[in-house]
Amino acid sequence: MYLLGGETPPLRGMHIMESRILQLIAALRASGVRVSLAESAEAFSAVDLMGIQDREHFRLSLRATLIKDLKDIATFEKLFPLFFGSGQPPMMGGNPSDDMTPEEAQMLAEALRQFAENLRQRMERLMSGDQLSRAELEALGQLVGLNQADNLNYQNWMAQRMMRAMAFPEVQKAMKELIEQLAQMGMSRERIEQIRQMIQQNMQGMQGQMEQFAGERIAENLSEKPRGENIDNLMNRPFHALSDEDKKLLQREVKKLAAMLRTRIALRQKRAKNGQMDPKATIRASLKYHGVPMEIKHKDRVHKPKIVVICDVSTSMRFCSELMLSFLFALQGQVRKTHAFAFIDHLESISEDFSGANADEAIQSVLWRMPSGHYNTDLGWALNDFNNEYMDTLNSGTTLIIVGDGRNNYNDPRLDIFSHMARRATRTIWLNPEPPLMWNGDSDMAKYAPLCSNVLKVSNLRELAEAVDEMITG
Amino acid sequence: MTTIFDSTTTVKTELSKQKYIASDEIATIVYLSQKLGKPLLAEGPAGVGKTELAKAIASATGRELIRLQCYEGLDESKALYEWEYSKQLLYTQLLRDKLNDTLGKAESLAEAADKLAKEEDVFFSNRFLLQRPLLKAILSDKPTVLLIDEIDRADAEFEAFLLEILSDFQVSVPELGTLTAKHKPFVILTSNNTRELSEALKRRCLYLFIDYPNLQEELAVVRLKVPDLNPKLAQQAVEFVQKLRKADMRKSPSISETLDWANALVALNASNLDKDVLEDTLSVLLKHEADLQKAKRQLMAPPPQQQKPRNNNEDFGRFSGN
Repeated sequence: MYLLGGETPPLRGMHIMESRILQLIAALRASGVRVSLAESAEAFSAVDLMGIQDREHFRLSLRATLIKDLKDIATFEKLFPLFFGSGQPPMMGGNPSDDMTPEEAQMLAEALRQFAENLRQRMERLMSGDQLSRAELEALGQLVGLNQADNLNYQNWMAQRMMRAMAFPEVQKAMKELIEQLAQMGMSRERIEQIRQMIQQNMQGMQGQMEQFAGERIAENLSEKPRGENIDNLMNRPFHALSDEDKKLLQREVKKLAAMLRTRIALRQKRAKNGQMDPKATIRASLKYHGVPMEIKHKDRVHKPKIVVICDVSTSMRFCSELMLSFLFALQGQVRKTHAFAFIDHLESISEDFSGANADEAIQSVLWRMPSGHYNTDLGWALNDFNNEYMDTLNSGTTLIIVGDGRNNYNDPRLDIFSHMARRATRTIWLNPEPPLMWNGDSDMAKYAPLCSNVLKVSNLRELAEAVDEMITG
Repeated sequence: MTTIFDSTTTVKTELSKQKYIASDEIATIVYLSQKLGKPLLAEGPAGVGKTELAKAIASATGRELIRLQCYEGLDESKALYEWEYSKQLLYTQLLRDKLNDTLGKAESLAEAADKLAKEEDVFFSNRFLLQRPLLKAILSDKPTVLLIDEIDRADAEFEAFLLEILSDFQVSVPELGTLTAKHKPFVILTSNNTRELSEALKRRCLYLFIDYPNLQEELAVVRLKVPDLNPKLAQQAVEFVQKLRKADMRKSPSISETLDWANALVALNASNLDKDVLEDTLSVLLKHEADLQKAKRQLMAPPPQQQKPRNNNEDFGRFSGN
């Protein structure tokens, strides 16, 4: 494994290639793709095997070894050309004055003369049809602070700033004037059209170059970014104090947590299965063997819980509910049946959304269907809806979970229905981001709480994970 | 391990001899996985030919295909091995006399027990070991292709158990000791992506995502597998299927369904993809009533007026906004 410096690679330029690949891996990691050391070593052996002559083979060698998830492929495809080039030089239109007659060139020079020196130079630069040099790009990048950018979302924005630094908008306007001027001076229509197209082509070529350059530079910065944002901090930070950026980070953490929980729960359920001997079944099985108990039968003691979850998706609770739903989604195999409902001012069944494969999509579709707005949260009305339509989902063996802050905007809390629900369900668990101290004002939590078997304070991800663990196994 | 694929081009030609059209991507990754001796994890929507790929690789390399179909609740005794209790019991019964002979001469109970212990191997030998697919692949005398189909359906614990086997290709049977593979099988795992697989499993595999094919690829498959369908109709049919996939269906038609449909069109002797033919055969492609209704409404209606192409004449239009 020459990753650790054993063999000498056979090709020249391989060293650069190696560090380029390492940079790509670092950038992938910084963009949230998990790449293990074993996988990066694997990538090197794959590249060793396939060589780097064929760009397509090279790309696939890296992709098959580094990327193991469909959703990460897009990230890879975006980063790869930034480190290994897009494979095509930028298309430039060429210099319009190359094949002009002397009169036409004269006309052009004259038309150009009316513009200020500064602007004229830029126009001439654009018309020369030459690509931007590395030095020019570096200078532009410097000018717009490209070296500080480490987020690929800013690629286009950075490129636009570079264009503005080159005075593209002004030059563009000037070019229009120039063309009008040329038309007035009597240049032929075809020639003008040709000039216009060439200029446009040149502009696009340069824009392409700038975008590529901005992307490359950002990707490089990304690969140098120190890793390991403090996830622990984020997990303990209250939901309402999370920025969008933090939320994205946490979404990934949720997946990991869910996987961990799933394994734990599955193990526990499996062990439970091997618990008690079932004498009846064992005797029945022994009949096959002349009454010799060859097969010992065990009681199937797995109690996969049935879950009915009602989530408040109003603005204040949105993020918490979102995470809760993704947990439940991830745990589906460990749960016998999940009925999920969401409410703001009325109740909607969202179980259907969760029958698909993709949790993020499911949650997005729910949240999109029930946009948060200025209307009133009304749990009482939602409970009434539940009473009318879905009461039969609650029966013995069902755990009822409510995710909400119990703030009802002074609407009727409908405690009658709630107590009926709590009686029907085996357990009722309420997850509330607020501690009991804050159950005042329009909060009806103090009234609901005695009816629940358990009220858990869930104000950050750690508490949520603990709560989910308890609910499923309980 | 016998290497038959010595370049990506061979992979392509050998697979196409098995009537499997491999894209560059598939060929490259299959080649890599064989060279690196790593399992191949093929993911993608149902019916794009993941299982077919394993079969084609097996017949192209002339290896035996051993298939393990995963399902919820699949456990070691179904996947790896099981002692055949009833056979053991039967043997004990039939050999009772012989046992009496052997043990009868013993003077003490301890001696009898010792003698019996010496014969233990008879009862815990390969004879009574029921080989399930994984053990079969490991013990096989010839190199094999091991297909672990729809791994996403198995439980998470099974995945963990599989990891052990995929990393060193050996299993320990307490009564027999450790059994190591004579030939490392070529392992292909498929997943329909119904749940996320564990990181650890993915780490050990090379990843190949097989998506629905594009027009040309799918047309090539149809031409290869249903040669009787006339080329013009094949083109129309594949275009239609591609259009269906773009529409938002509950279940998009897979390649296998395209092939079924193509066969249906041949059987019906259709010469043109007109409204009647579509009415009759659409249910081969679409399996949900809602999808069928939708397709009938949307796709059979006369196409909407072509939108005017956007006006590109504006000077340097691309740079106007910033």
